[in-house]
Amino acid sequence: MQAATESQAETLKLRSVLDLTAAAPLKAEFGALRGRPVRVDASDVDRLGALCLQVLMSAHSTWTSDGVPFSLGGTSPGFEEGLDTLGASFLLFSIPRE
Amino acid sequence: MDPLASIKITFFQECEEQLAELETGLLTMKDGETDPETVNAVFRAVHSIKGGAGAFSLTELVRFAHVFETVLDEMRAGRLAPDGRILDVMLRAADVLADLVRAARDGGTVDEDRCQALIAELGALTGVQEAAVDDGFLDLDFAPITVSVDVGEEPEPAAAAGLEMAEGAPAAEKLVVAFRPRAALYAKANEPAVLLRELASLGRAEITLDASSLPQLDELEPEAAYLHWVATVETDDEAAIREVFDFVEGDCELSIARVPDDCEPVAARQPPVDEAETAGELDIKALIARATGGATQTAAAAQAAPAAQVISLRDHPARAPDMSARKEDGHAVAAASPTIRVDLERVDRLIDLVGELVINQAMLAQRVLESGLARSSGIAVGLDDLELLTREIQDSVMAIRAQPVKSVFQRMPRLVREVAHATGKQVRLVVEGEGTEVDKTVIERLTDPITHMIRNAIDHGLEPPERRIEVGKPAEGVVRLSALHRSGRIVIEVADDGGGINRTRVRQIAVDKGLISPDANLSDEETDNLIFMPGFSTAETISDISGRGVGMDVVRRSIQALGGRISIASRPGQGSTFTLSLPLTLAVLDGMVVSVGGQTFVLPITTVMETLQPKPTEVRRLEGSVPLLLVRDRYVPILDVGHRLGYRAGPIEPTEGVVLLVEGEDGRSAALLVESILGQRQVVIKSLEANYQRVPGIAAATILGDGRVALILDVDAVISGPTSEPALAETRLLAAG
Repeated sequence: MQAATESQAETLKLRSVLDLTAAAPLKAEFGALRGRPVRVDASDVDRLGALCLQVLMSAHSTWTSDGVPFSLGGTSPGFEEGLDTLGASFLLFSIPRE
Repeated sequence: MDPLASIKITFFQECEEQLAELETGLLTMKDGETDPETVNAVFRAVHSIKGGAGAFSLTELVRFAHVFETVLDEMRAGRLAPDGRILDVMLRAADVLADLVRAARDGGTVDEDRCQALIAELGALTGVQEAAVDDGFLDLDFAPITVSVDVGEEPEPAAAAGLEMAEGAPAAEKLVVAFRPRAALYAKANEPAVLLRELASLGRAEITLDASSLPQLDELEPEAAYLHWVATVETDDEAAIREVFDFVEGDCELSIARVPDDCEPVAARQPPVDEAETAGELDIKALIARATGGATQTAAAAQAAPAAQVISLRDHPARAPDMSARKEDGHAVAAASPTIRVDLERVDRLIDLVGELVINQAMLAQRVLESGLARSSGIAVGLDDLELLTREIQDSVMAIRAQPVKSVFQRMPRLVREVAHATGKQVRLVVEGEGTEVDKTVIERLTDPITHMIRNAIDHGLEPPERRIEVGKPAEGVVRLSALHRSGRIVIEVADDGGGINRTRVRQIAVDKGLISPDANLSDEETDNLIFMPGFSTAETISDISGRGVGMDVVRRSIQALGGRISIASRPGQGSTFTLSLPLTLAVLDGMVVSVGGQTFVLPITTVMETLQPKPTEVRRLEGSVPLLLVRDRYVPILDVGHRLGYRAGPIEPTEGVVLLVEGEDGRSAALLVESILGQRQVVIKSLEANYQRVPGIAAATILGDGRVALILDVDAVISGPTSEPALAETRLLAAG
């Protein structure tokens, strides 16, 4: 994670491989940013798995419930393909883009 | 909020709309308009509720709606004539359906006996008894977990996957795969994405993600399995599918079913209803998919297709899943007007912000004016443009929140039926002006007062049928509910053709209860107004109908809290009319800014008919009355605002100030005397009650361009009172010659 203040939002840069082993660290990364605006940078993602998708969707839902901004920055082809395969391309539109 | 709870709220909101459509349609049919369009609209309303209810396993609601729908289907097919008797049954069925919806929404129960009786009555109309209701409808489930579709039998209304057979459809090769991984699948380093990718390689696949079990981040176990999928794959090779899941067989729930290719999501199933008719259909499955983080998409089309589908889901959530399929079939698809649902909170926030914008714009204009810039300067011209634009934005924003009063009025026919039934009276409700628009915040607070007034009109106003016949009236009484815009306000009237207020009795009750002294000298109007006194109730016994003695005082208080007023006009033997007058919006008003007693006040410009500076010859004085102003051969009382509100010890000479001819909501006029007129502008209303307290004669406050607070006059309150009675004043003058 590279957390930095940009336009008041912390940027959470996703790892390139979001496989089964990345889910727990990803949850911890989001957990550390709870309550603060977050911009998710998926521009380097090569592979997205179901467990990390769960974490991402849960985080989005949690931030939304909290009323705290949650946005999506850059997205890589690998990330978009992963969403598509898992039937979750709608996230590209339901999460605000920057 | 839990995604499922959120979508359920949406479902119940749409149910209310469908119930309103249902009642409107049935009443229209009862008035003799039984054209296919109306019958179809009624059918569609019930069908939609049934479809959504099935998705939430609201079994009682589904069961009842199904029986109801069957009758309507017979009617659509022309096998059942919609006569008055049948429509009465259907109106009562609509009431029960509404009860079932609300019981499902709010908890609680419905009158089971009534429900069963209606089911029996509806069944008798078609010859279909309840036992014949296909329980398959009760199996509807939004969660795409298991699939059980048997093409060899009678068309089954539903399958657990939310799919059902289209009648008479030719079979084609599609397999529906419901895939629910367990945590063990992940623990063994298996990846659903890999499995789904392989699945998609077998044929064109539509993959729906079900995230309804996904918890909030705090509760999420990173290695637990929350996501499920349903894939519809164009293949007949079941073995190949099983092979994909071979290695995870024990670590997931998997079911595969064969369905024909034109199976549709449950809510999209339309018996012989044409395309245009389905535009308003609830598709709860699509909504659930959307709200819980699920969407249907074609995995094979990895690039462009998802975007288009998601946008269509967002724009037309109820239609998206079946629109593309029908287009492919070459059918015309009715263009539904795109609508979105927006949280009222967001709209309110926008209105608040625009209000601040208006204030800031006014302050900016004031500063530019004070800087001495010429009116023709570029900045001044630019500010004028900005003002126009600001006004336009404000009007547009307010229009978002404006709604017709129909949503409130539509609830009243049922109320009338029930109160009429409970009191044994015959009542016809006539509704007028239901398209009259008013701010949503006002509408929301209209229901209770109107409900109470209508109950009162029937319970206390209308005579029993036998009494009506005795006095030469039709046995059926009429209650008229109407709405119209007048003087920048909405005026709602509830009128009955009953016996009018029994003033002798009202007065006696007031005396008995110590509300007035026995020797009080009251006019008819003052006597009528006694019913608004707290604790007053003319009912001999407290009844369920009129509200357990809550009384009209509560109605009046709730109306006053909205900046409104209520008045009565009653004629013995002919009936009573209750008139509510409310502001159209609680956010802004166009005002005339005046100076009174050294203070700045704002009058709603809609109340001002004319402004003028009185000449000595136009002013008449009569003993015991306020001065009168001659305006076009008519005398109106001159009311010194500063004096009346206590800003000055005594009145000023009318010729020393300016008068504003105003008209109150009851039509009476007065000349309000002020020191000077400072201008005219739009102001943002700030509640005085919320920020300070209620002040007699003052409706609200605002912030002017110079930053000062100005009070907004309550014109009706200012002109009310015995000395301002124009009819009296005119009478005196005329009598004096």
